[in-house]
Amino acid sequence: MPTGAMIATRFMELRKRRGLMIALILVNIGIPTVFLLVRLLAHAFAPKSYGPAGGYDVYTGLCTGVLYVFGFIVAATLGCSAGSVDLTEGMFRHLVVTGRSRLALYLARIPAGLAIIVPLVAAGFTIVCAVCVFAAPTRLNYDGVNVPAGLSRAGFESWAGNHPDIVICDFPYNGPGLPNVPCGPNGPVVNVPPGSQGLAQITPSQLKAAALLIARQDYSGYATQFLYPSDSLMVKTGLWIELEALIGLIVGLGLASLLGQRTVAVILMIVLEIILTPIFSRAHIPHLLNLQRSVVGVAMAHLTPSGLPVFGGGGGGPGGGQGNPLLVPESTTVAVCVVVAWLVAWTVLGAWRMMTRDA
Amino acid sequence: MSTTTLLDTSSHQAAQSRWAVETHGLTKRFGENVAMNGVELLVPRGCAFGYLGPNGAGKTTLIRVLLGLTHADAGTMSLLGYPVPKHRDLALARVGAIVDEPRFHGHLSGRENLQILAAAREPAARDRIESSLERVGLLHRADDKVSKYSMGMRQRLGVAACLIGDPELLILDEPMNGLDPAGMAEMRDMIVSLVAEGCTVVLSSHLLDEVERTCDAVAIVDRGKVIRQGPISELLAGASLALQVECSEPDRARSLLEGSTIGAHIEVGPLGLGITLPAGTAREVIAEINRILVEGGISVYRLQEIQASLESWFLQVTSRLGAPE
Repeated sequence: MPTGAMIATRFMELRKRRGLMIALILVNIGIPTVFLLVRLLAHAFAPKSYGPAGGYDVYTGLCTGVLYVFGFIVAATLGCSAGSVDLTEGMFRHLVVTGRSRLALYLARIPAGLAIIVPLVAAGFTIVCAVCVFAAPTRLNYDGVNVPAGLSRAGFESWAGNHPDIVICDFPYNGPGLPNVPCGPNGPVVNVPPGSQGLAQITPSQLKAAALLIARQDYSGYATQFLYPSDSLMVKTGLWIELEALIGLIVGLGLASLLGQRTVAVILMIVLEIILTPIFSRAHIPHLLNLQRSVVGVAMAHLTPSGLPVFGGGGGGPGGGQGNPLLVPESTTVAVCVVVAWLVAWTVLGAWRMMTRDA
Repeated sequence: MSTTTLLDTSSHQAAQSRWAVETHGLTKRFGENVAMNGVELLVPRGCAFGYLGPNGAGKTTLIRVLLGLTHADAGTMSLLGYPVPKHRDLALARVGAIVDEPRFHGHLSGRENLQILAAAREPAARDRIESSLERVGLLHRADDKVSKYSMGMRQRLGVAACLIGDPELLILDEPMNGLDPAGMAEMRDMIVSLVAEGCTVVLSSHLLDEVERTCDAVAIVDRGKVIRQGPISELLAGASLALQVECSEPDRARSLLEGSTIGAHIEVGPLGLGITLPAGTAREVIAEINRILVEGGISVYRLQEIQASLESWFLQVTSRLGAPE
């Protein structure tokens, strides 16, 4: 097993790769920070034109579109570096001659890599959480209408009853029982001009009843809208993103060790994340379904926390990755097994190659 | 028997072994090419040992196999009495080596590179970093990035990397590469001092005069086989006797000597006669040659014995000049 000194020196060697560290920091922390900073400044200088910088939608977009994808790619880059630079820079020979087990030499790279990537991903995620929570909007934009956030069903219906004109004309509704209320530029047309045919006069109580009907149907959709992410969602998202980074590191490390070089390994990892995973997640290829399910990105899509959309769009709905009809079906148990299998298999492959390679 | 007892037994047996390096029937193939063909090598402890051979003879391959950088296809070997690869970790804990040109992480300093290697060795190795850097003359540049080092500095850093393990056996593959004459002299002095401290140094080199000046014993490998090995003095004693004769009539002198029973190989050159006598020829033959020439009416201006050098002997025994003796 690797010693603490081996892990520490491996950490030092990776940390001192200035170009690599700058790239990791720029992507993991810089991109979301700059994005949010621009939004903060825009809202500060022109609040009527630019909404609040944070909020639930910004959070979900950054987490699934930026932190998740780029976190994987930078972790993979780090893993590919850790798995190949000793060989390409000629240091591997010296390490073998020390007599230390090659397996220990390989395994030392894992905690060293994690010591770099976990804090970086956490830092970027923390910035996103902080801005999305503290700079969140104060009123919810539900279907283009500003409504109070966090109302119970009764509270939502009560609010709807007090704002029937908004609810009737601006909220979506599919169902029977709604009086034929035409909507004008200023809300429902309730006073029929003298001599008009066919339109009965709508009373305020009828309007209120109609608003309540709409509110009852729309409450389930409203309940999924939040001003900012909840604590539990943030914890689950953080763990999910860190798991994706772990996968990127371990698979990148194993692949680069197998290939003996970094560049091709990084390219393959990017192809896996950006091209193959979205295709395999959604295309239902009849004879390849089991193969699709065995792709780690598909498994991770099924482990997306509820409340987040799945990477690549399509919406996660209340069940997150599970229950998303657009994804290739896969149970949570199988998804977890696939993730574990990838972590173990690539570690074994990378270690095997390091142990058998001519130094 | 417990693991500790087994290791104690192995250590005891290793300590009693008189050979620093021992190989029997060692073979390594790269496809159709047989790089090592049943190498039998015995390197005694406590000496500087040269491993010589023409390009492609298998010198570096042997070193790589001994150090576990590649595996052998057949045969057995041991380092410091420990069979390898079975007890590779025990053996290599006391071995330092430079194979080909030493390369390091360029973005790290010399000291940081040594820290990485020391971490892979025993804890005490870390404490030897400073002394090793000082011994190779790199202490003042230890914090500079290796990318800024010259080739000679990297070579010295490679030696420092060997020394942090406090080795009993040092294996150096072409250690003089890239060194200027001063650097070569320093390397030679360091090898001599290490041997004086009890270390065994195995040196693979093309520079025969450096090996002759530095080493006590050599082995010659050709086409994957060790064809000669032993102390240099003994090996050179078996070399042919060479004489240079400057005389008044070289052609007639040649005819006289070829007609005699001496059995010498004679060539006429710009410096006179070059006479080669078989190994083991008695020194009285030199006097006999002089007598034959003088009695034949030839004036002998100079008759000089050419001391056998490692280079001349090496060229005699390797396949480049024909069948070995």
